[in-house]
Amino acid sequence: MAQDTGGAKDAGPWIDPLKYSEAGKEMPKEVLETARKTGPLTYTVLIDEKHLVSKLYNMVNVPTGVWINEKGRIVRPNEVAFADDRFKGFSGLDSAPYLNAIKDWAEKGDKSIYAMSEDRLREKLAAQNPDFAQAAAEFGLGEQLYKAGNLPEAIPHFKEAQRLNPRSWNYKRQAYKLSGESDYGTTFAEEVKKAGGSKVYYPPPELPKTGEPEKKP
Amino acid sequence: MKANISSGLLLVLLLAVLPAAGKEIHATVVYDDVATGIDSAREDADQLWITTADLTRATRFEVKPQGVCRDVLCFPLPKAKKQEFLHQDAGKTWFNLTAFARLVRQPVAHDAALSTWYFGLRSDQNQTLSSLYAPDFTLPDINGKQHSLSDFHGKKVLLVTWASW
Repeated sequence: MAQDTGGAKDAGPWIDPLKYSEAGKEMPKEVLETARKTGPLTYTVLIDEKHLVSKLYNMVNVPTGVWINEKGRIVRPNEVAFADDRFKGFSGLDSAPYLNAIKDWAEKGDKSIYAMSEDRLREKLAAQNPDFAQAAAEFGLGEQLYKAGNLPEAIPHFKEAQRLNPRSWNYKRQAYKLSGESDYGTTFAEEVKKAGGSKVYYPPPELPKTGEPEKKP
Repeated sequence: MKANISSGLLLVLLLAVLPAAGKEIHATVVYDDVATGIDSAREDADQLWITTADLTRATRFEVKPQGVCRDVLCFPLPKAKKQEFLHQDAGKTWFNLTAFARLVRQPVAHDAALSTWYFGLRSDQNQTLSSLYAPDFTLPDINGKQHSLSDFHGKKVLLVTWASW
């Protein structure tokens, strides 16, 4: 799910780098190499110009992963979901434990030790601060104004979304991409530092250690 | 004296909920992330009144005797406060979309200079998460083909968001 206001124009080169890199946008060498090796992606990749998934699931950053079982029930809610170690230098997160957890769940289903208990899920999915719903509306309005060609009018609404939900990196980074960090009087690096560093930016997934099933009350 | 204050207050309240008489402007309503141009809207501070015909055009909701309805969804209007939502004027029925948003606990963001109104997720659309079921959505792939989360029912789904930025 690409959370990209720019739609296929911005997300396309990452989905089909061989096709879209020819269209002008140069992609990192390793992305092109992987695409040449593996061919077209075999999983479903969707483009979410309105950040609908982030809105419905209250997501605040990318990559965010949610596990959903065969019945459509959430098994693990929002968490940092790295499929490789591309950003390990910044995040300090090794993708292996998360990937192992996914494999365990794929095999054992709801009996996997990584399937969260219902109580923990309820805690995690507890009702949101109403300011966050208002923040999503301000962000949506900003996107609408931007798409209608009114970037200067969009910026105050993007700022308001960031003020109402300061934990959302999506609101910050998408807005910076649409105009520039200078419109917000800050930089990404400064914001990460202010928030408490990359460990706060990418909190590690809460995974029980192997062999220690999650305590169920 | 007390009675005077109450009736004064009532008058002020009534004025506050009636649409600005006469003055009609062009507004844009964004509902379910779809933008619709409204040629004759009435704005009064933080209130937006549109005709019931425009209500249906912009939101697919219709005013029916049992309430404001769309498909199987129906929100009854509180009888005592009906005038807060509906108003007859200039041969049209006006509907207060912002009062309706408050009723269904829906956030509204407004750009006054461009008369653009964004209506966010209603509380009924936000309740899915607390049921522990994954909220459904439909989005296009790079070729424009639509996919819904519910298409994957019966399979495990690893939902991952990413972005180019």
